[in-house]
Amino acid sequence: MATLTRSGDRTIEEKEALLGYALIAPALLLIGAVILYPVLYNVYLSFTVVPLSPDQSPEWIGLGHYYSLFESSQFWSALRTTIVFTFFSTTLATLGGLGTALLFNRSFRGRRYLRGMVLLPYVAPLISVAFVWRFMLDPLYGIFPYIGSDLLGLYSGNIDLLSNGDTAIWTVILIDAWRYFPFAFLMLIARVQAIPGDMYEAAKIDGASKFAQFKDITLPELKYILATVFLLRWIWNFNKFADIWLLTRRVDTLPIYAYKVAFANYQHGQAAAISMVLFLALIVFVLAYVAWALDW
Amino acid sequence: MSTKQSTHRYVVDSFKTALGVGENTLETSLAERVVFYVALGLTLLVTLFPFYYMALASLLPESSLYTLPPTLLPQDLTLEHYRIVFGPETFPFLTYFKNSFVIATTTAGASVLVATFGAYSFSRLDYRGRGIISRGVLMVYMFSGILLVVPMFQVIVWLGFVDSLASLFITYLVQTLPVSLYMLGNYFRSIPEEIEEAAIMDGYSRLEVIWKITLPLSAPAIVAVFFFTFMIAWNEYLFASIFLQSQGVYTLPIGIEALASSFRQVWGQIMAASLLTSIPLIVMFTYLEKFMVEGLTFGAVEG
Repeated sequence: MATLTRSGDRTIEEKEALLGYALIAPALLLIGAVILYPVLYNVYLSFTVVPLSPDQSPEWIGLGHYYSLFESSQFWSALRTTIVFTFFSTTLATLGGLGTALLFNRSFRGRRYLRGMVLLPYVAPLISVAFVWRFMLDPLYGIFPYIGSDLLGLYSGNIDLLSNGDTAIWTVILIDAWRYFPFAFLMLIARVQAIPGDMYEAAKIDGASKFAQFKDITLPELKYILATVFLLRWIWNFNKFADIWLLTRRVDTLPIYAYKVAFANYQHGQAAAISMVLFLALIVFVLAYVAWALDW
Repeated sequence: MSTKQSTHRYVVDSFKTALGVGENTLETSLAERVVFYVALGLTLLVTLFPFYYMALASLLPESSLYTLPPTLLPQDLTLEHYRIVFGPETFPFLTYFKNSFVIATTTAGASVLVATFGAYSFSRLDYRGRGIISRGVLMVYMFSGILLVVPMFQVIVWLGFVDSLASLFITYLVQTLPVSLYMLGNYFRSIPEEIEEAAIMDGYSRLEVIWKITLPLSAPAIVAVFFFTFMIAWNEYLFASIFLQSQGVYTLPIGIEALASSFRQVWGQIMAASLLTSIPLIVMFTYLEKFMVEGLTFGAVEG
């Protein structure tokens, strides 16, 4: 290769490496400055009391915020809410996506257009989606309370499903699953369509039922993509802030708890500690999940 | 599979072709088809009803918006809510829209530019530390906005960028970079390396190869990445809610939220504003759907 070197004293490999560094440098600098530095700074802030005035420097208090966090019942309840919200919204969105992918796995007229339409909840802006749900659930004029309580008598119409402490989390879980099942659908449909039709033909000839075909062919073939979709949705739902915040103020997950502590109570150090715990809890889950899913 | 079975299948297939019937029409019973179409109908109803209702409510006059039972099939429609949304008296919707558009376009453009070079670097060129970089990009997926919001607030205050779109540009650019790098990196790896090697043999330099071969071949992925980063910036609420303070710099999520919390019973206008906010994304998506779907399979986009 060295004979191919045209100019100067550098070999082609060296020049490629230099170009490689030059091309990645802007991205690395930006990510370093605006992600890694803040993350490390956040670690530092979580050990300090941050004064309101930006001229004063933070006061070091060691593990103080973590101690008070672990003693506060609000924190433990927020952690529980986060896990409940994440588990159910992730599971529902993944199952919804799987069901839709199987439904769209046969050819029918207009399949391409309908596939595009199914993606709409995921593509439409969050703000629009949040507000149409708030309107549809409005206890006075909303269409859902009308159908649910006046027509079907499922519950008493005075309950505001989004603001009531008992129902808010389940309502938010359902809306979240509605918004994100298209993501799972899209990730799964390509894999579903790639399963060779021969396998089903052979199973049919052996007399396997639809359910047996699903259990013995479809599920094993989709195992890894299902595991991946579940993991990604878990990571994003665990950190979810805006979707919940724009729908209701009655579901306090850890991100929302941190936001309130930081920007309603102005306790930035305490909020930094909450977000650290959130991050560590997520890392522990992801490592455990990956270890489990790999030899699943 | 035995020869007998594949012969059997071949015969069936050729009959199907000859008769011009699809696989499903030949093999599914009427009951199965009914179940299928009912399930499809329900899926579409659940998926699309909120959008129908948004459009409907934005066109209903006040008198039918606040009545029971709620209107599902309109008797009379009005453009009054849209007139108010575009008029200056209640809230400056057009300013919010312009701010969102500027921030989303510049973020997406800059993100695609920086990520194209970066992704090419770690997917094609060989150097020490490349593996760490490409794995590190995935790690950043786990850094949520909430982890960055407190320290970023401190930094932005210190820089004196509070209440400016510049603060959002920096934040969004960096938040979208990992996604862009990851998607483009995966795409570049899927382009056969031989094509580039052949060009280098012909005397092209690396940069010429990137410019004249890799980029044109990656057009669908680049379009997809642009759309997804645009979408992320268009939707962002958390950072905008703490960095922006005056109405003149509000983006759409903050502006519409402010409208909803400061006035009562303005659902018609909120629905009109929501629908207008959806239009850029839906139009882009409709035109670019093929690329979008392809793009998503190359990298999962946060949502």
